Amino acid sequence: MRYWWSLLLMAVTVGCTAPDAPSALKKAERPHWAFEPIKTPELPRVKDEQWVRNPIDRYVLAKLEAKGLQPAPRAEDAVLHRRLHFMLTGLPPALDSGKQNRSEVLESLLASPRYGEHWARRWLDVARYADNKGHVFFEEKNFHWAWTYRDYVIKAFNDDKPYNRFIVEQIAADRLKDGNRSALPALGFLTLGPRFSGNIHDILDDRIDVTTRGFMGLTVSCARCHDHKYDPIPTADYYSLYGVFRSSPEPTLAPTFAPAADTAERQAFDAEMAKRMKALNDFVTKTRANIIHTARTRTAEYLAAVHAKRNQPSTENFMLLTDKGAINPYVIHRWENFLKDARRDNDPVWTVWHRFAVLADDEFAAKAAEVHEDLFAAAEMNERVRAKFENTPPKSMKDVVDGYGALFMEVDAEWQKLKDENACLADADAESLRQVLYGVNSPPMIPQRMGWGFLALIPDRPDQGVYQKLIKAVEQWSMTGKGAPPRAHVVTEAEVPVEPVVFNRGNPHQRGELVPRRFLEIIVGDERKPFTDGSGRLELARAIASPDNPLTARVIVNRVWAWHFGRGLVATPSDFGTRAEPPSHPELLDWLARDFIKHGWSLKHLHRRIITSATWQMASTHPGELTKGQGPNPKLVDAENRLLWKFNRRRLGFEELRDSLVFATGNMDSKVGGPSVNLLGGFNGRRSVYGRIDRMNVNTTLRAFDFPDPNITCARREPTTVPPQALYLMNHPVMADYAVRIAGRADLPTATEKRVSKLYRVLFARTARTDDLKLAHQFLGEAPDAARWRSFVHALLLANEFVFID
Amino acid sequence: MASHQLITSRRDFLKRTGTGFGMLALAGMSKSAQSAPVPHFAPKAKRVVHLFMNGGPSQVDTFDPKPMLTQWHGKPLPVKNFRTERHTGHAMGSPYKFKRYGQSGLPVSEIFAKTAAAAADDLCVIRSMQAEVPNHEPSLMLMNCGDGQLPRPSFGSWVNYGLGTENANLPGFVVMCPGGYPIVATRNWRSAFLPGAYQGTHLDTKHTDVTKLIANIRNSRLKADQQRRLLDLTQALNAKHLKERAADPALEARIQSFELAFRMQSEAADVFEIKNEPKHVLDSYGSGTHGRQLLMTRRLLERGVRFVQVWSGNGQPWDNHNGLAGTHRKLAGEWDQPLAAFLTDLRQRGLLESTLVLWGGEFGRTPVAEYPALNGRDHNHYGFTCWLAGGGTRGGYAHGATDEFGFRAVKDVVHVHDLHATMLHLLGLDHEKLTYRHAGRDFRLTDVHGHVVKELVG
Repeated sequence: MRYWWSLLLMAVTVGCTAPDAPSALKKAERPHWAFEPIKTPELPRVKDEQWVRNPIDRYVLAKLEAKGLQPAPRAEDAVLHRRLHFMLTGLPPALDSGKQNRSEVLESLLASPRYGEHWARRWLDVARYADNKGHVFFEEKNFHWAWTYRDYVIKAFNDDKPYNRFIVEQIAADRLKDGNRSALPALGFLTLGPRFSGNIHDILDDRIDVTTRGFMGLTVSCARCHDHKYDPIPTADYYSLYGVFRSSPEPTLAPTFAPAADTAERQAFDAEMAKRMKALNDFVTKTRANIIHTARTRTAEYLAAVHAKRNQPSTENFMLLTDKGAINPYVIHRWENFLKDARRDNDPVWTVWHRFAVLADDEFAAKAAEVHEDLFAAAEMNERVRAKFENTPPKSMKDVVDGYGALFMEVDAEWQKLKDENACLADADAESLRQVLYGVNSPPMIPQRMGWGFLALIPDRPDQGVYQKLIKAVEQWSMTGKGAPPRAHVVTEAEVPVEPVVFNRGNPHQRGELVPRRFLEIIVGDERKPFTDGSGRLELARAIASPDNPLTARVIVNRVWAWHFGRGLVATPSDFGTRAEPPSHPELLDWLARDFIKHGWSLKHLHRRIITSATWQMASTHPGELTKGQGPNPKLVDAENRLLWKFNRRRLGFEELRDSLVFATGNMDSKVGGPSVNLLGGFNGRRSVYGRIDRMNVNTTLRAFDFPDPNITCARREPTTVPPQALYLMNHPVMADYAVRIAGRADLPTATEKRVSKLYRVLFARTARTDDLKLAHQFLGEAPDAARWRSFVHALLLANEFVFID
Repeated sequence: MASHQLITSRRDFLKRTGTGFGMLALAGMSKSAQSAPVPHFAPKAKRVVHLFMNGGPSQVDTFDPKPMLTQWHGKPLPVKNFRTERHTGHAMGSPYKFKRYGQSGLPVSEIFAKTAAAAADDLCVIRSMQAEVPNHEPSLMLMNCGDGQLPRPSFGSWVNYGLGTENANLPGFVVMCPGGYPIVATRNWRSAFLPGAYQGTHLDTKHTDVTKLIANIRNSRLKADQQRRLLDLTQALNAKHLKERAADPALEARIQSFELAFRMQSEAADVFEIKNEPKHVLDSYGSGTHGRQLLMTRRLLERGVRFVQVWSGNGQPWDNHNGLAGTHRKLAGEWDQPLAAFLTDLRQRGLLESTLVLWGGEFGRTPVAEYPALNGRDHNHYGFTCWLAGGGTRGGYAHGATDEFGFRAVKDVVHVHDLHATMLHLLGLDHEKLTYRHAGRDFRLTDVHGHVVKELVG
């Protein structure tokens, strides 16, 4: 049967099955730079000391000099001014921004709320942010308060929240003991991923993936089905993390995170909320109690169902509907798993069961006696089970089923007589049997908190209807009730943490060895201890955010570097594994990481370092590469500019492009934060970061402009140049609208030449030169009308100069 | 290894310049792009049409006749029903009659009589299809993207990635669905981690006006000459900008893309103007939505579009849990005449031999009736039917078999991965070599699965 393979086998691919693939976790034999501690490298010597502005430049220049290359000259002031504005805020310079000196400009941009808006969007790519869930069945399709996570990220950047704190909050804000609930929205990092039609394994895989690739550049989810083929990540480590996240369920109702306003409106809101929650909870409690009761009193039916399914295709991944009153498919699955574990552990309660259950129906009669004799001669078993079967050999599997069913009834009756919920049965064997019905992880003991997973417990449509109505009432009121407060999409702690087992080949039916919840061996070594604090999420977060973690600081400084230079020192920002290209400047990477940690994990500090380097301030054209070049062409030595002999020109991303258009109209709305809005119809003054992202149906304009698929963490956007981009810019009505607004700016002078000059400053952040004015004159003619001016502006908006940053 | 890297770098180039709706004319684009991607070996088919009967058509009522089922009609099957999404009961014989067609004598249900009469000898019917679960969403994902759950690129995206474009002015992957989206919407034709340019371009074929079919294809304010003047100014600015800098393919590509876009405005519009077709052609396709969709499909294929997916309608039209007899007849009736005309037309134009047609749903339906109405069928992924035509497939052939009641594929089982592997094979692509590096690994449409079913190849 292959039906489960593609659901559960995380694609092993051609590349992954190459014969020369090294096996996992042989760290000692195969040192890999990224797993080695971050060094404190020595500053290299360079010949041209004059060029050096800060230590970054030494590392860059040393490499260039070694290859006989010259760095490009410093870019012109106007170019740097524009570059700096776009780099830090994603917006062009304002008309009056040239009056400060360079370091004042740098500081004012870092202090501007526009900075956080711009850099948050870059982190949101990594966090695969979207405002809805992807495919789900009956539940609310949107993350109604996803924006609270987005606003959290913006604020974190603007406040220069230490990055290590930023990590911990995004994984475990609920576990921090400082009582600061305002960070709860940070958990959106975990929760705002796609929901895979509610498949819990895939949801958790997404969380493992975004956490490990996002923070550490490690592709841990490759180890879902087998040990990672290239990186030292055994499958057991994947399931250690699985256990952490599996023990961190989401509450049915997302919590608020700000103190409640003391108003009558809010009180009324809370009262109604409580009423609706109670109705829902009553239903859940009642349903759950019923299911548990049924599961305890109809054990024979469940056992019969499990046995009947043994040769049937598994239905674990089906969404099943049943008739009212039928036994519960979810509980049948729990029984199946329970019996598999019992078999693996040689549980003496189930010895008899397992010996008979392997017999085919048509051989049962013939072989039963032999099995029986064998079994009772040797096997260790529960004495109550022995008593039940020793003198009455079963003639069919039904006898076995009924025997066990009767045993459980008897034991339950004995216990009920004690009339004490906390009592145990004195006889240890009887108590073992009772635990099958009452134990913490026993089949009937379905978890309290299942959120929407609860739906699986009521597979008949009429009850589903009732449940949906109740939950909708809660959801609706929480979202749209008068005075409804914003909420945070959090995870919480399970009452009882899940003890994970390896799913062999990623298949939840093939339950392998138990693994502790703990961190990755490759990072913390084989002395590591299991997590002890609940799910272990906080411990996980701290292990990731540790200065001793060789990956975390390197990964973030490399991301920031890549966002500045268009390419990271490590070219694959989310993959620092053994298959990644080694860093172009390993010492520089370590120096940056050390410097970053030393300066309190401050991203603004990192920006200052980078921006004040001579490296960052180089021109984007090298004299050697011009047709009539001066000196040798560095492209012949280093075509891809890996060694950084010039700055890389870059095209604006869609958000920057749109924001620049809005900014140029002079009507940008500077409001920070708030619910997501639809921005892609007509003119809207809000910045693009506030646009709603629909992961089910990513807006075609966004997609045409290389907006990444928000279903998976994105390390870097891949720029494409396709005609739909051109068609949008040429023909979409909003483009004409921008042109009208820009051409109609009240601050434009009336005289043609002055007007053109000012438009050049607005759109290109430079003064118009003689040849510019000549082109303008040719197009505009002597007395241009409004339509001609609009076309003129529109033509400038399409120009490369508007969308490329030198 | 060296040749593999060469292809990779070509692909890398494509990745940056893109294909898809408005692919770039590569040769005109940049001197470094002398060639589009090449197949792994000589292809039989050059393009694909996927006719998606969403909701899941019943195999025992269309292309997989089961006389035994009729005999047991109204009685419980002698074997246990396989568990599907819902509770099912007794056997339900097909309400339709089957007849043999063509020289091959392929049996086809009366609801597809015209298709069978026109093209039975072209059909390569796979009666032993299997998917993985009896639920729509994962099954749609599996059929379209090769994985039931995880966000993977669609088949059409892979084919465009693998084969590139033959017409720079049109999308390489067109998706038609009248009235909106099927369930799970654009995920069915997503490019996922492949570059965005490879994703399907969706057209709501409820519309006939080209401006509603293609986004931003016309400028509502400027006449062509006015727009040309505007673009001339842009390009003059661009030329000056370029001259001041060293050669940069990114700047040049963007300059070219405006010229292409300008031309597309007229050329792309033309392809959807089906009213210019001769009357006898229009008559043969009929006046219905599917006739219009298939005629547009043919025009797209003629112009070099690589992959066209045509859906039955928004939602899941074939999902007949009850009242199947009437609804299946109605749905098939809407397809039958246009389908017959389409296959005939392709054959007459010499397009069929190089066009691979796939007909089918995300799964089939149970041979047993579903409670409580007992006049419809539940989802069935254990066994169902798809058919291929053209593109080097073996016509007039029925492959594999379900059990005597049509519940489960038992002979020569063809998993969806096998279907994908075989179709890629017909397109000259080795499904194990068509890979894309993402997140540290090489991904395939067929994951670690899939076998080419040689018997399907003519």
